[in-house]
Amino acid sequence: TEWNVSVWGKRRAFTEHVHKLAELVEQKTNGEFTMNISYGGLSKNTENLDGISIGAFEMAQFCAGYHADKNRAITVLELPFLGVNTLAEEVAVSHAVYAHPAVAKEMAQWNARMLMTSPMPQYNLVGTGKARHKISEFGGMRVRATGGIGEAFRAVGGVPTSVTSSEAYQAMESGVVDTVAFAQHAHLSFGTINEADWWTANLNPGTVNCPIVVNIDAYDALSDAEREALDSSVDESIAYYLDNYGELLTRWDAVLAEKGVEKVMISDEELAEFKKVAGDPIQQAWIKEMSAQGMPAQELFDLVNDTLAKTRAGN
Amino acid sequence: MAGTSSVLRDASLLSALDRSLDVVERFFALISGIFAFGLMVLAVVSVTGRNGFNKPLSGYVDWIEAFMPLIAILGISYVQRNGGHIRMDIVVGALKGRALWLAEFITTFGVLLLMAALVWGSWAHFDRSFDMSAPLWSRDSSIDIGLPIWPAKLVVPVAFFVLCLRLILQLWGYGRAFILGLENPVAVPLIMSVAEQAAAEAEHIQGRD
Amino acid sequence: MDSIEIGLWVTGGMLVMVVLGMRVAFAAALAGLIGLIWIFWDKKDYELAQLGWALTVAIKTAGQVPHGKVASQALSLIPTFILIGYLAYYAGLTRALFEAAKRWIAWVPGGLAVSTVFATAGFAAVSGASVATAAVFARIAIPEMLAVGYDKRFAAGVVAAAGTLASLIPPSAILVIYAIIVEQDVGKLLLAGFIPGVFSAFVYTGLIIGLALTVKGFGPPVTGFTWRERFESLPPAMPIFAVVIIIIFFVYNPFGGDAWGTPTEGGAIGAFIVFVIAVFRGMRWAELKDALMETAKLSVMIFTIIWGVLIYVRFLGFADLPTAFSDWITSLHYSPMMILICILLAYAVLGMFMDAIGMLLLTLPVVYPAVMALNGGEYVSAADSAFGMNGTMCAIWFGILVVKMAEFCLITPPIGLNCFVVAGVRDDISVHDVFRGVMPFFFADGVTIALLVAFPSIVLWLPSLA
Ligand code: NA
Ligand code: NA
Repeated sequence: TEWNVSVWGKRRAFTEHVHKLAELVEQKTNGEFTMNISYGGLSKNTENLDGISIGAFEMAQFCAGYHADKNRAITVLELPFLGVNTLAEEVAVSHAVYAHPAVAKEMAQWNARMLMTSPMPQYNLVGTGKARHKISEFGGMRVRATGGIGEAFRAVGGVPTSVTSSEAYQAMESGVVDTVAFAQHAHLSFGTINEADWWTANLNPGTVNCPIVVNIDAYDALSDAEREALDSSVDESIAYYLDNYGELLTRWDAVLAEKGVEKVMISDEELAEFKKVAGDPIQQAWIKEMSAQGMPAQELFDLVNDTLAKTRAGN
Repeated sequence: MAGTSSVLRDASLLSALDRSLDVVERFFALISGIFAFGLMVLAVVSVTGRNGFNKPLSGYVDWIEAFMPLIAILGISYVQRNGGHIRMDIVVGALKGRALWLAEFITTFGVLLLMAALVWGSWAHFDRSFDMSAPLWSRDSSIDIGLPIWPAKLVVPVAFFVLCLRLILQLWGYGRAFILGLENPVAVPLIMSVAEQAAAEAEHIQGRD
Repeated sequence: MDSIEIGLWVTGGMLVMVVLGMRVAFAAALAGLIGLIWIFWDKKDYELAQLGWALTVAIKTAGQVPHGKVASQALSLIPTFILIGYLAYYAGLTRALFEAAKRWIAWVPGGLAVSTVFATAGFAAVSGASVATAAVFARIAIPEMLAVGYDKRFAAGVVAAAGTLASLIPPSAILVIYAIIVEQDVGKLLLAGFIPGVFSAFVYTGLIIGLALTVKGFGPPVTGFTWRERFESLPPAMPIFAVVIIIIFFVYNPFGGDAWGTPTEGGAIGAFIVFVIAVFRGMRWAELKDALMETAKLSVMIFTIIWGVLIYVRFLGFADLPTAFSDWITSLHYSPMMILICILLAYAVLGMFMDAIGMLLLTLPVVYPAVMALNGGEYVSAADSAFGMNGTMCAIWFGILVVKMAEFCLITPPIGLNCFVVAGVRDDISVHDVFRGVMPFFFADGVTIALLVAFPSIVLWLPSLA
């Protein structure tokens, strides 16, 4: 069996688990089951679910925030201030939510089955000009942020301004935006860190959620040995991803020093204030809106919190 | 492009259909142009809002992406009617009479097959983003302000469907010209207008070529 | 059958369809669709029962491309820059520019043709689309040249060639598209296009003067303008400079502060100012409607090629040909400069059958990384590199070379978009006439490209200051 896998951009920390998975699967099946990973050749990034639905390729990565209406259920994972602190916690809550029947049902509409997540750290801001330490200073801030994170900044008077990730650097340089919210690897690969004067180390407003899915028919058509090889490689691939991303995070402080970027620590009072305005109200609004659409929203939201509590208790 | 070809008309049913469809095609092309203008206005609003009032237009990129299919695709049949899509005319330029109409018929038929397939394919693309049971019928939304995408996706099969009608008329025109052995058939773009042909012949007689 | 073989068959089939006279956009899309069906059926070992599946998947995959690729902020520059050209025409700005150029410089040998080149180069500082520039100047400059006895083919050729300047002299839709495909700084690229653009204009001028001096009865000088007439011609053309200055501030703030916005926005603001001038100078609905219809026509024509080519590109992606190609390029045992020259020659050949943007979309995802690798990678220093420049500078240099090649392909037969556009404006001039008339400019472009390759500093001096 040969599978085509659609991802986008260039190979980076964000896609390392896919490469690891391909390697493991090939090993375990003695080369019977191979994966051909394509960066943008098979689909546009916002249309990967469409490609899975058609059956054009067998496996793909996508981000929930690109098209909330395609994947309403998992947008719970992009809500601001869920309190997820580590990548391991992000994996735990993501996989718990992916296992929920409402998610499986919604993905089945796309002929898709959740395989694993691509955990990302909290999206902190890089900015130009004078560092912003207070939430009140976020008023009128033009920030590149999508989904729930964008909503959070809107709630404190910021103006979410849409540019694609590949134009974020240019937008920052030309003053179209003055701050950009990304995970660390994206600040590096899209060059926004080069333009930055400061970085918020502990704002932690939330993150985006980017699952890897497989086409259901293709998954069912695998031989038992192949399916076993695939399923059993998920945990190992995720572990590899976490190690790899962890290394990047330990390098991060050195990068900041090298580029002369100020590390902004926001006080606990300010964080509490931000969370009060942008956390709870947005979360509750999401629950209300999704419940009205017949989604078990409260259940999904509770699932995130319970899983988080359990994960912490387990450690 | 357009000017080197022109479409003749007469009192036949084919010509009447050609002209009726032309009305629709012109209307679609005008919508294309108006939205190109709208794109400019959108940018002006966005820039003034951002630089003048610190209030950037929310979802600027989402709106651009919603406009683009109207600008770039809706007028496709209008351009086809007038023979405006570029091509290489080394071979067809050398053909005359029945051989020319046959060649035109074959390539046009190939395009009709393609476009019929793409009506289906682009409709399926629209259909995946459309859900009668969802709010705003939306099962696919834009990144920033969650605009439903299905209206923009619907533009494509609609424009392609009109193009298919146009291609059928052109096949009819070329087929008729082939069977009847016509010299200047109606309802198809002719490589050179009659006036040009006359001018070209006059030039030829003068021996300038 | 392996995918390289399928790729070759499908590509050959596309060329046959193009030669038979199928519209290029549709030939590319049809080839892509057939290729997709083939690839998907191949995957099922050509079982007859699976043909229906392969057809469905291929058609649905191809059906995503028109909307998916056209709904893009980057490409939204194209209609904006086409619109600005037609609005400037109705605002009388292009005529004023041509008139001023005529009164000041038409006294040289080949005067009106030289004036056309300079007026077009001036207008290029506002317009970012070569085809629209050629279309507009065909309406203005050709009648004047014919009136003083130019050969109609040469008059048309001058306009078609001079129109290409709009994509080197900033702003430029095609440079922005290059910047976005390869993820480089748009501002620096636009800046880098300026000197090569002006340089090209002077090479064209030299060629015209040379021809005028050697060919008898070729483009007589136009003399007899008084200094008073010359100065009177300037004020009507002045608004162009106001627009130019505003666009400059959007691309790059010369006073060292932030630029005012993105180049995309700069183009739109420029178009809006031109629109206001046009209304002020008497443009009404009838003229505006004409401008909108012309904009729609050119935009649709270009975008149809774009999505058509991209269906073919999608097939190449599934056939995994880009990987095969870049592996092959990097495995070659020639010097990097030799390979670069071969790539540019390949562009010249490919460009004969392609339009500029289609060609970039088709090739850059494969060729750009290969060229960067040849130079020593994205982060190479100038000292360690093959071409004597760091990664960023190499991206800029190659971008300008490629855009110049793309411009070249706008005037080469059999598919030279600018020549089609010029012939489209004039009922009395056929495409073949334009191709005939534009031929001397192939030589001029060849010289320009050779000099840009030999002396990269022509390209890199300005962006290295920024
Ligand atoms: Na320009
Ligand atoms: Na060409």
